[in-house]
Amino acid sequence: MHDAGPGPMARRKVKTSKPVTYADAEPSAFASMLGGLIEANVESRPERKKDFDSLAARVGIWVTDIDEGVTLVFERGALLVHNGLEPKRDITIRADADTVMNLSNLKIGLFGMPVYYDEVGRGVALKLLQGKMRIDGLVGNLATLNTVTRIFSVAG
Amino acid sequence: MAVNAFSDEWAVRFKDEVNKSSVYKAAAKGWKWTVGLVIEAEPDKNVPESVGVVMDLFDGEARDIHVGPASEAQSCQFVITAPYTRWKQVATKELDATKGMLQGKLKLKGDLPTIVRYTKASQELTECTTRVPVQWPDER
Repeated sequence: MHDAGPGPMARRKVKTSKPVTYADAEPSAFASMLGGLIEANVESRPERKKDFDSLAARVGIWVTDIDEGVTLVFERGALLVHNGLEPKRDITIRADADTVMNLSNLKIGLFGMPVYYDEVGRGVALKLLQGKMRIDGLVGNLATLNTVTRIFSVAG
Repeated sequence: MAVNAFSDEWAVRFKDEVNKSSVYKAAAKGWKWTVGLVIEAEPDKNVPESVGVVMDLFDGEARDIHVGPASEAQSCQFVITAPYTRWKQVATKELDATKGMLQGKLKLKGDLPTIVRYTKASQELTECTTRVPVQWPDER
């Protein structure tokens, strides 16, 4: 006779959902690109997956020269991408399109720290010093910023 | 002397510009994928049919660039698609290609982490197009 009660299989976790989903029915090109980039990165690199699975944060990115942005809601192993800036963000990065792309090209060095002493890193650091890149909410969220940078990074 | 945009002569001149660029050579080191540009038709601009530009780029060198049917460009590993007017804006520096992609004005198909890793190379490819004097079909 069939036993309808919970057996050992009931506890098995089967993860079928995609790691990245979109809050809007029509995600913007920027939202699709960033979401696609993170998804590909997380699926192809186990060290990025580990960061992705541990991160819980709301991160805004505003591209100043195209007046578009996204909010990335990381929920430990899942990411919801919103068009535009949503409230209650932990960190908001505001920079031009080139700098946003360069954030993805930051190399990750010792202890998982982004490398700021090579050409790409110096360029990003200079934009920060010149005020051409702004990071709101940095105080108290430096570890989060580093984790987000690692998840973005397509460099070695 | 100006050549017709997206013609065979244009493809030869564009390839020469790419291979003359030391910036491209350095930035595209390691690149080994084909790239197709699809220029979508705009009959009212004198572009009655979609055109493809097929680029065989390898390790900082353009081995071949030729103009062909859009379907050939669509079969490349990376494909960037936009209407004729957008490409003209890119080639005349009215539209930055990176911004165009982020805004969805240029549609990209291909592995995103790879293309992001080679942002500088793709920007230099765009620069190379601006160095070829062109006669535009809608200005003829």
